[in-house]
Order: sequence, then C-alpha cells, then structure tokens
Amino acid sequence: MTRVLTVSAGLSQPSSTRLLADRLAAATRDALGAGAEMELVELRDHAHDIADHLLTGFANENLRPVLDRLSAADGLILVTPTFTASYSGLFKSFVDVLDRDAVRGKPVLIGATGGTERHSLMLDHALRPLLAYLRAAVVPIGVYAASGDWGADTDLGRRITRAGGELAAAVLARPDPEPADPFTDPVPFEQLLRESTGG
Amino acid sequence: MQFGVFTVGDVTPDPTTGRTPTEGERIQAMVAIARKTEEVGLDVFATGEHHNPPFVPSSPTTMLGFVAAQTERLVLSTSTTLITTNDPVKIAEDFAMLQHLAGGRVDLMMGRGNQGPVYPWFGQDIRQGIPLAVENYHLLHRLWREDVVDWEGRFRTPLQGFTSTPRPLDGVPPFVWHGSIRSPEIAEQAAFYGDGFFHNHIFWPPEHTKRMVELYRRRFEHYGHGSADQAIVGLGGQVFMRRNSQDAVAEFRPYFDDAPVYGGGPSLERFMAETPLTVGSPQQVIDRTLGFREYVGDYQRQLFLIDHAGLPLKTVLEQLDLLGEEVVPVLRKEFAARRPAHVPAAPTHASLLRAQQDAAQQETAQHSTAQQNTEGSTV
Repeated sequence: MTRVLTVSAGLSQPSSTRLLADRLAAATRDALGAGAEMELVELRDHAHDIADHLLTGFANENLRPVLDRLSAADGLILVTPTFTASYSGLFKSFVDVLDRDAVRGKPVLIGATGGTERHSLMLDHALRPLLAYLRAAVVPIGVYAASGDWGADTDLGRRITRAGGELAAAVLARPDPEPADPFTDPVPFEQLLRESTGG
Repeated sequence: MQFGVFTVGDVTPDPTTGRTPTEGERIQAMVAIARKTEEVGLDVFATGEHHNPPFVPSSPTTMLGFVAAQTERLVLSTSTTLITTNDPVKIAEDFAMLQHLAGGRVDLMMGRGNQGPVYPWFGQDIRQGIPLAVENYHLLHRLWREDVVDWEGRFRTPLQGFTSTPRPLDGVPPFVWHGSIRSPEIAEQAAFYGDGFFHNHIFWPPEHTKRMVELYRRRFEHYGHGSADQAIVGLGGQVFMRRNSQDAVAEFRPYFDDAPVYGGGPSLERFMAETPLTVGSPQQVIDRTLGFREYVGDYQRQLFLIDHAGLPLKTVLEQLDLLGEEVVPVLRKEFAARRPAHVPAAPTHASLLRAQQDAAQQETAQHSTAQQNTEGSTV
C-alpha cells in the first residue's frame, strides 16, 4: 500500500493553506490510482506538542505518532503559509524536531500560500533549500497559491494536477526504502574500535 | 539490589525564595546528602561531573574521597565520569587512588557529556564523542589490567612502557557502568566488555530506556558474558514525596515549573505521565519503581535524583528519610522476591575479588590436575 502524508501548517480556519494541501493531496491520489492511502496532519493541532519537544528534547505521546507516520510514509506533501517572506515558524519548528533522516530520499511535493504573488519564489529560495539540507527528493514543481489564485481564472488547477502527477510518479518509482535500525543491527564493537582508533 | 541517589550538582535558585546557594553551600549540601544516604540505609552515592556553571562538581574524586572518609558502607560512584574530555590515564590514576582510600567502595559510570562548548576547553570536539568514548575507555580498561602498557591511538600522546599507579586495589579494577540515553554504540560498548549499563531514565520517556537496555542485554549475551537476563543494568529515576500525594504535587510544582531542562514546557502532570518522574506518596513511588522491571527486566541498581531544581537541603534530607524508612525497605523485599536465582546482584569490590580468587583457584586446580595426568602417563 502506498501511503502519502500531507502536512498543512495553516493556522486560520478555514485555511487557504489547508485548501491547497487538500487539492494537492487529491491530485496525487488521482495520479496514484486505487490503493493509495492519503493521510493529513494539521500542525496547528500540534503547536504545543512541537514547543514541548523543543524544550524537553522528546516527542510527547501526541506528536510521536505523527513523526512515526511521517517517517513511514512513501511520499510527503508539505504546505506552509508564507510568513515574513518565508515558511512559518511553526512549520520550521516542526521540521526542527523531525527525526534525523526522517525525509532522507523521500519524494516530497512542496506548496505554499501567501497574500501576494510576489512571494512565490519563497518555495525555491526558502523551502527547497531546507529540504535539500534534509536530503529529501523534492519534485521539480512546487505550487504557490496567492490570494488572487483562489478567485481569478489562473492556472492553479493545472499546476496542482501536474505537481500531483510528479509526486505520484516519484513515489511509484522509488525503490522500497530499507530503514536501517541501529538497535536491530548495531555496529559490532570490533568495528567501532577499529574506526575510533583509526587502526 | 542496590539503591542510592545520584546528583547533577547544579546550583539553581530556589524558585520559592529566589535565593541561590553559594557554590560552597552546594558542595557542602552534596556531602551532607551523601552522608545521609548511608545513614538512612541506602547503598550508593553518585556525583555528576561538570566543568561549567551552574554546576559545581568538577572534581569528583576529591569529593568522593572526602565522603569516603566520613562513611563506612556507602559505595561511591559517578554519574557520569567524562570519558571523552578526561585523559584516561588520569581517570585510571584518580579512581585507583580513591579505590584504595575507600577500601574498594568505588565504581564509576562512563558518560560522554552533551555540552558542545565543554569539549574544546579540553582540546576535543563533540563530533568525535563516540570515537573518544571508545578509544579512551579501551585505554583505561588496559591501564587497570596490564602493569605495563604500550599504547598508540588517535586522541592522546602515545604511551611507552607506562605503568598507571597505584595499581587497582587487590588487583581488581573498579567496576564500570556505561551511561547513555540513546546511543546504541554505548550499549554495544558496555556489552562488549561485560561492564554494566546504566540508563539515566529521567527527563525522557521510558521507551528510550527499554530500547537501550534490550540492545545491551542481547549483545551482552552475544559477547559471551552470560545470558541476557544476567547483564548488569542500572536505572535512574526522579522522585519527590510527601505522605500525602497532593502535598507532594503542590510543593514540587514551583520547582518543576522553573526547573532547568524541562521548565516552561509540559505540565507536571503530563511530564509525570510521559517520563519516570514520580511526585506523590511513598506508596506511589514504590508502585512506579517496581514497574520499571516490567520493561527492563530484573536489574541491579536503582539511583534516584532528589536534589535538583533548587530544592533546599532540608527538603532533600527529608526525601532521604522517606526513601530509607518507607520506600527502599519495601523495594528491596519486593525486587528480591521477583528476581530469579540466576540473576546476579550488582558487582562490588568484594564480589569481584571473590570471582577473581575463584578463577585463580580453578586455574591452579586445573593446572595441578593436568600435571598429575602428565606425571601419571610417564609412570
């Protein structure tokens, strides 16, 4: 079963970020065909959990399942509002508490909303480098939706469809990931000793 | 099973009075806590090691030597000794000296230290934390077991024909625990040597503890030191008690809310639910502590953190009274009743010496049998 997790960092209700997230998820599901399982997480619901994680160093019982689902997903859709010329602080804090290697090699579709088209390169100047650092496999098309896109006759729908198609193709092309578990297969001590002493 | 306390040695303002103890007061308080630990019938006192404010214990063997002179039964230990930034040669010397002065009442716990700035002060780099722990301990292990050591490694000056003095008391090196919250390499290291593994088991959900202990036990067996359930496991734990649990919660809450590490984060109730912290009546502490063995198995040492976050000395000593009078006697009995006979107790100098003598005797016996056989065949 192919599982795609959508993360929406929208804060208001209703939220245009959530709206974009739902549209991207639907386009991805359509492109993946039957058998795709779509899940969604609203970061607003976990704002306190994320702050607690920053302060205590561990995920509480509300946040842990979210991080586990994210690590286990075959693909991700990450959508954030544009705040002060970049992704939102809540979105970044969430990314900051992800497990190391949580998105490594994982196909990711990025999306953002904002009040003006002039912020649209935020996707490529802020969000894409962040995910490059985490070694995610971000698909070439990202979707930015400005306030104007929701009412006017823009090509938003077409962009969403193409982006969903790209993510679906990347998810289907991805080889089965083999998550290495250092607790199941620890590095034998002889090797640790050899490597540590440089011998 | 051994019971005791471990201290971080933080100098923290008391949030209820705003008063910060002086370093001198805190150091004397730690000594008073150690003495009281013995007085109320507990077994172990362990001090942290830190090299930056707001912590005072930069020189653990000095403190433990002073405590040794004022106690008779108490086992003196550390939580932890920094194997990354200390010279293993100095650790070997300091703890062997302490071992002699304390009549063998010494063991120690290796830890890496998690504060980035400390490493460069000692010429090291936190990114090398695991290799430092591996190489330095390997040298320490040899220094206590080989009279003359030739050594070349990555992190310290080579040694040629070096003898660490004094030699360990009775030729028995102090028992070593390795502490780590979530680095599988350290569980692996403890298992390889057949040393003890300690999980600090505070401030974090028990899942981390369970995962680390499981790995350590499995690998302990793999390396041939005994069955997995015979591995030597120690746990921390954090408690605050009053006879009435509501009183405990009300009194501890301001300390919790302002504490370093977790203050300003989750609520006390939530933190109690998600970490081993227990604030309540002695009975609640007993019940919670007995539950630990359900996820780590039968274990050998339980240390409690009782003196952090600015709690005044008087309060801490009252906690020790409750531990000694009401909690630990029940825990000793209940844990003993649950432990199968083949699970060993925590190693002590006496037990290690006995094991060494038994091994030597066995060797002599085998040797003389072999000799007799040889003689017999020549007749």
